[in-house]
Amino acid sequence: MSMSKGARTRARLTALNIFYIVLIIITLIPVYYALTIALSSGGDILSSKLTLLPKNMTLDNFKTVLLEKPFFTWLKNSAILSVSTVALALLTGVPCAYSFSRFRFKGRKFVLYILLLLNAFPAILSMFAIYRMLNLVGLINTYAGLVVVYTGGMAVFAMWNMKAYFDTIPIEIEEAAKIDGANDLQLVTRIVLPLARPTIIVTAVMTLIYVWNEYVFAIQFLPGAERYTLAAGLYSLQATEYTRNWPLFAAASILVSIPVLIIFYLIQNHMASGLTAGSVKG
Amino acid sequence: MLKRRLAPWLYSTPLFIIIVAVILFPIAYTLYISFTNMNVYHWFEFETIGLENYKKALLMLDSGFLPAVLRTILWTAVNIVLQVIIAFFLALGLNSPGLKARTFYKTMLMFPWAMPAYVSILLWRMGMFNTEFGFLNKLLEMLGFSGINYLSNSTNAFISCVVVNLWQALPFMLIMMDSALQSIDKSYYESALLDGAGFWKRHLNLTLPAIRPIMAAPILMTTFLTFKQFDIVYLLTMQRGGVTGANINTVLTYVYDKAFITNNYGYSSAASILVFVLIIILSSLSRSTLKQEGV
Repeated sequence: MSMSKGARTRARLTALNIFYIVLIIITLIPVYYALTIALSSGGDILSSKLTLLPKNMTLDNFKTVLLEKPFFTWLKNSAILSVSTVALALLTGVPCAYSFSRFRFKGRKFVLYILLLLNAFPAILSMFAIYRMLNLVGLINTYAGLVVVYTGGMAVFAMWNMKAYFDTIPIEIEEAAKIDGANDLQLVTRIVLPLARPTIIVTAVMTLIYVWNEYVFAIQFLPGAERYTLAAGLYSLQATEYTRNWPLFAAASILVSIPVLIIFYLIQNHMASGLTAGSVKG
Repeated sequence: MLKRRLAPWLYSTPLFIIIVAVILFPIAYTLYISFTNMNVYHWFEFETIGLENYKKALLMLDSGFLPAVLRTILWTAVNIVLQVIIAFFLALGLNSPGLKARTFYKTMLMFPWAMPAYVSILLWRMGMFNTEFGFLNKLLEMLGFSGINYLSNSTNAFISCVVVNLWQALPFMLIMMDSALQSIDKSYYESALLDGAGFWKRHLNLTLPAIRPIMAAPILMTTFLTFKQFDIVYLLTMQRGGVTGANINTVLTYVYDKAFITNNYGYSSAASILVFVLIIILSSLSRSTLKQEGV
């Protein structure tokens, strides 16, 4: 007996639905498991049984992280570093991206190519040189030093990303304003920036998330627990005391991730296009 | 007119100063350090020693540099092949006609991409791979098996790192594949179906050629990101106070280890320069590939 065509399609769709639901559950296990651990009291994790929900649900771990650990100091440090980096990256990146989008000049293609090449160079490879350099000019252990390093890390991405978007804005709009006597600064602030809002937002958010998540440079360049960012603090804690207190670490991880998750899902539609825009065009 | 010609350079100066200061100059400085014996004992009193560091990296097998290069290439190849194949079939499934929850599935499957990378890696290490209270070993014990040490030897650790990387990187590849599939004109398939082409024939002859030019750029971009992956190997197997005994250095963790853990700055810099040269060669190869694909 053979199934009718409609029944076969329905069976296939059911199988697909089950497959994706199982896949999603498997995908979410690492984070869900951490969440149940964060919500459990210390004794629960010692039991060898796996339970869907913690036996004694409690918010104690979150309280401890927020109140007893220097969580807010780290949050403040992360905020200072990420906001300063975003500001510096946009202030220096927008005029550069605008120039390379609107002007045609000798050396333009060459510079764009060199920038792409530099972007292929991972900062970790020259991390020691940067460290020594900042040390010699006295900028090690300062926010300013790290902000400049972070801005450099995102500079090429920011410039290419914004340039690619500026390229799509028709130049005629600006020409009308030019006839009215607007100068370059007025063109950018009054016409280009409002039109380019999506790319400004994506660039800013990508920079923000990069700084928020960066721990390698933060630990090396800003040592000392009172200057740690959230990422550096979390990293340093799991390497020391949180190893023995996995519920606390799980709670801290979740607290640190929530803002990033919210921002990501708010701008998710821009993410894919924003990420590839710069890498495609030569 | 001169003012007009200088304007773009003038506007770009601030950004270029930063790029020169924290990218260009450090590369040049790294090149210089690579010719010296600078290390923790020779912080100021270092000497130029010519190509010694390069000789050590390239000619002495036990220096570990060449094995790290080969391992990085293996790591990149394994990850990219798996990602492309898995993402292709997952995206194909998502695009089945009549699948109503497709947007919901996509949103949920994107989750690992949204998580901060270092947090997920540490959660994998503490929550999944931990030998005593990790999820995986608890699950194995519940099913009556004995636990596994996921990170202690090089083979296990390599596989564990691949798993974590797939978990993190698949969402991006999936989204890219999905939008590539979406861009194919559905009428192609109708005529193929009328001709009686089966599943494999349809996708080999129609789907793959159609998405190739679209996927070339994201795949190449992911290839470079995978080649430059640092966090997974570092956080899972070699962070300070948490060395597991596995040696699965990739080129980046190798350079970092020589600079900041064993403090051999001159040698580490030579390794950096060699990796940089390798990256330049690979990216010029990839540019010509992209040109061929007509992107």
